[in-house]
Amino acid sequence: MEPLLKVENIKKTYGKSNAAYTALENISFDIHEGEFVGIMGPSGAGKSTLLNMLATIDSPTEGKIYMRDVSIHDMKGTDLTDFRRDNLGFIFQDYNLLDSLTVKENILLPLAIAKMPAKEINIAVNRMAEVFGIENLLAKYPYQISGGQKQRTAAARALVTEPALILADEPTGALDSKSATDLLESLSGLNEHNHSTIMLVTHDAYAASFCRRIIFIKDGTLSKEIHRRGQTRKAFFQEIMDVLAAIGGEADDVI
Amino acid sequence: MTLFSLARKNIARNLSQYILYIASMVFSIIIYFTFVTLKYSDTITEKTESSQNMQSLMSAAAIILIFFVAIFIAYSNSFFMKKRKKEVALYALLGVRNRQIGFMLFFENLLLGLVSLVVGVVLGFLCSKGFMTLLIYLMGYDVMAPFTFSGSAALNTAIVFILIFLVTSFQGYRLIYQFKLIDLFHASKKGEAIPKPSMGVATLGILLIGSGYWLALQDPFSSKVWGQVGFVMTVLIILTSVIAGTFLLFHSVTGFVLMLIKKNEKWLWKGLHVMTVSQLLYRIRGNARTLTVIAVLSATTVTAGGAVYGLYYNTNDQVLTADPNTFMYRQTDAKIDQRVSALLPDAKYDETFKALSVTFDAEELNSLDGSEKRMYSVIDEKMYNKLAGIQGKEVLRVKEGHAVILDMGYDPRFSPEYKGKTITTVNNLAITFQGYKTQTVLNAGTAGITLVVSDDTFDALQKAGETVIYRVIGMNNASVDLSGKIAKEIPKAGLFSSAPQDIRNSLENVGSLLFVGSFLGLVFLAATGSIIYFKILTEAEEDKSQYNMLHKMGVSSKEMRKSIALQVAVIFLVPLAAGLCHSVVALKAFSNLLMMDLAKPVMIWMIAYTVIYGLYYILTVASYNRIITRNNKTEG
Repeated sequence: MEPLLKVENIKKTYGKSNAAYTALENISFDIHEGEFVGIMGPSGAGKSTLLNMLATIDSPTEGKIYMRDVSIHDMKGTDLTDFRRDNLGFIFQDYNLLDSLTVKENILLPLAIAKMPAKEINIAVNRMAEVFGIENLLAKYPYQISGGQKQRTAAARALVTEPALILADEPTGALDSKSATDLLESLSGLNEHNHSTIMLVTHDAYAASFCRRIIFIKDGTLSKEIHRRGQTRKAFFQEIMDVLAAIGGEADDVI
Repeated sequence: MTLFSLARKNIARNLSQYILYIASMVFSIIIYFTFVTLKYSDTITEKTESSQNMQSLMSAAAIILIFFVAIFIAYSNSFFMKKRKKEVALYALLGVRNRQIGFMLFFENLLLGLVSLVVGVVLGFLCSKGFMTLLIYLMGYDVMAPFTFSGSAALNTAIVFILIFLVTSFQGYRLIYQFKLIDLFHASKKGEAIPKPSMGVATLGILLIGSGYWLALQDPFSSKVWGQVGFVMTVLIILTSVIAGTFLLFHSVTGFVLMLIKKNEKWLWKGLHVMTVSQLLYRIRGNARTLTVIAVLSATTVTAGGAVYGLYYNTNDQVLTADPNTFMYRQTDAKIDQRVSALLPDAKYDETFKALSVTFDAEELNSLDGSEKRMYSVIDEKMYNKLAGIQGKEVLRVKEGHAVILDMGYDPRFSPEYKGKTITTVNNLAITFQGYKTQTVLNAGTAGITLVVSDDTFDALQKAGETVIYRVIGMNNASVDLSGKIAKEIPKAGLFSSAPQDIRNSLENVGSLLFVGSFLGLVFLAATGSIIYFKILTEAEEDKSQYNMLHKMGVSSKEMRKSIALQVAVIFLVPLAAGLCHSVVALKAFSNLLMMDLAKPVMIWMIAYTVIYGLYYILTVASYNRIITRNNKTEG
C-alpha cells in the first residue's frame, strides 16, 4: 500500500555557511493511513523542526516530503493554505483556542472556513463533542473550562474536519495525568475505530506509550524505531524507557 | 551602571516600541507650541483691532488644549506602560528593588518627555508659519506670515509640558507599587465576561438619547421645560442624558444586535464570520467605554466645527442682507457728496433720494421692550421698486394707507405680529401693516427699519416726519481701503455704512473663531483617531497568536484581512454614526436658535471630518494587518 506520508532524506540547516547549524539530517520515514506514530527525543533533538516541516510551516533545506504523492513544499500561496486546511489537523501544547469563541464555535471554525452547510456542521460538531465527552460544555467560553477540557476541545477542533493527518505537538504537556490519560484514550480510540492517522510529538514516555509505533530522534538524526505490536501499554512503556536509557536521553526529561 | 544610564540604554534598545509613544507626545507639543506661538504673535495682535477679544479667545482655547493634551498624554502613557508590564515584572523577579525600578521608569519617562519637548518645539516652530498663514488668510488680511521664534511661547510650552511629564513619570514610578507580580505577568490575559444584553437597558439608552434630542430641539425661548429648569441646567441635562444614553446603547444594543446575528447560524458559520462577530462581542464591554468616548469626541468636534464654519460661511450673506448697498449715508452737505464722488472710480449705481424719518405711536404692536413710540424710515413705493430692480429683488405694491415693513431681524418668537396692526403718527394719520419682508433695500446701519408706503401716503406723511436725503452707492469690487477713505469724508451724523468694512469686521471675529474652532477640531480629531488606533493595536498584539492559529488552520491571509477590516470598521463606524447623529441634532438646535440655514457648511464640515477619520481607519487596518502578517511569518 502507498504510504500517506513519505519523508525523504530531509535536511534542515539554520544560519549562513560558516556558522551553519544543522537541526535535522538524513531523516526518512513513511507513515501509512491509520497509523498512530509517536516522535520522541530529548529537548533540542529537532522534534519541533520536523513537525513544523510536516505542518508546511517551515521548509526543508534538502529533501522532500510527499503526501499522497504530492510534494508539499513545492506548493505555494493559496494552494498551500488550502492543502493545510483540507489535510491537516493541529493540536498544540497550549491549546490555542480562540478566547472570543464558545467551545462549540471553536470546534466548528474549521468547518465554517471550509464553507460547510450549517446543518452538516451541527451534526459533525455534536459527533466530535461526544467522542471527547464535552457535549455539555459547548456553550461555554474557554476561560470558563479547565485545561483538560480545553485540550479536548482543541482535539475535537483538529479532528472535526476528518483530516488525513493529525499533528499533535506535546498535547499533554500542560495537562495533569488524569486529563492527559482522558485525552490520549480518546485519541487512541479514534485511531482504532475511525482509523484516523495521528502523529504525536512528545518527550513524555507515558504519552508515547499510547502510540503503535515510535520513532526516536537524537541530535537531528533518526536513532531508533520500535513497534508496540501485541504488547500491553505497560510493557510498551517499559520498552520505551529502555530505549531512552540506551540512546542516552536525559533521564529527568523523560520521567 | 547607574539607573540613569540603564534608563537611557533601555530607550535606545527598544526604540521601535517607544516610537508610537514619543510620536503622540511630540504631536501634542507641536500643537500646543504652535498655538501659543500664535497667541504671542505680534503680527496677529497688531492686525486685529478686536485683539482683546482674540486674546481672550486664544487664552480660553489654550486652557482647553492643556486639559486635552494632558488627558491624551496620560492615555498614551498608560497604553505604553501596559505594554511594558512584563518587562517590569521581569526586573522585579530578577531581584531589582522596587524603588530602583520605580526610579528607572521615572527617569526614563522624564527623558522621553524632554526629548519630545525639544523635537516638538523645533517642529512646532516650523509648523507655526503654516498655521499663521492660514489664520491670516481666514481673517481676510493680506500680509505675509512672519517666521520668528517666540521665546515666551517656548517657555510657556516647556513649563506646561514639564509639569505634565512630571505627573506621568510619577505614574510610571507608582506602577511597580500598584500591582502584584502575578498581575504584571498576566496583565493582558484576563478574559472579559460577556455582558448579558438586556432589552430593558437598551430601551433605557434609546429613551435617554431620545429625550435628550427632544429637549435640544425645543425652542429655548418658548419651551416650558427650558423656562422652568433654566438654560444651563437644561443644557447639562441634555448632555448627560445623551452621553449616558450613548453608553447604554453601545453597551447593550450592540451586544443585542451581535447576539441576534449569532443566532443566524447559516450566515455565521460561513468562513470567518463567526470569528468577526465573536471578537466584537468579546470586547463589547471594554468597547462600550471607548466607543462612547469616541462618539462624544466626534460629536463635539463636528458640532463645534460645524457651527463655527456655518457662521463663517454665512458671514458674507448676512452682511449683504444687512448692507444691500455697497455704501450708504445720510446727506448732510453737498460738498461732501462731491468729495465722495471724486473718490468713486465707477459705481454700478449711485442714487440720491428723499426719505422720511417718522416717529409712530405703536401701542398695538405691544412689543417685548414695552416702548410705545417707534421710529421708522419711510420710503415710497416708486423708490423701493427702483432699488429692488437694481438689487434683483421682488417688486412691491402697497395699498393706500398701508405699509410694508422691511424688518431684517424679524423673528416670529420676538417680533410683533405686524399684519393688520395699525400705527399712528403724531398728527393722527393711521397706517396699517400690509405685511413684512425680511429683506431690505437700504443698509440697516444707516436707515434702520424701513417702511414702504404708496407714493400718495408718502406725500401725506411728509408733514408728520423729518425729511432726510439718502445716498446709496453700488459697486462690484469695493475695497476696504476705499471704504476707509470715504468714511473719513463723512461726519458721524451721516451714519455711513459700508458692506466691505462690515464684512471685514465679521471676518475678523468669525475668522479667528473658525481658526480656533478648526484648530481644536483638528486636535480632537487627531486624538480621537489615535485613541482608536492605540486601542486596536493593543488588541492586535493580544490577538496575534489567535490569527497565527487560524493561519496554521489554513485560513488564507485574504480572508483574515477581510475579517480584520470588518471588525475595525465596526469600531470606527458605530461611534462615527452616533457622533454625527448627535451633532446633526445639536446643529439643528443651533441653527433654529440663530435662524440660519447651516445645512451646506455643516455638510461640508461633516464630509471633511469623515474623510480624515476614514484615513485613520485605513491606517489602522494596515497596521493591524502588518502586525498579524509579521507574526505569522516569524511564528511560521
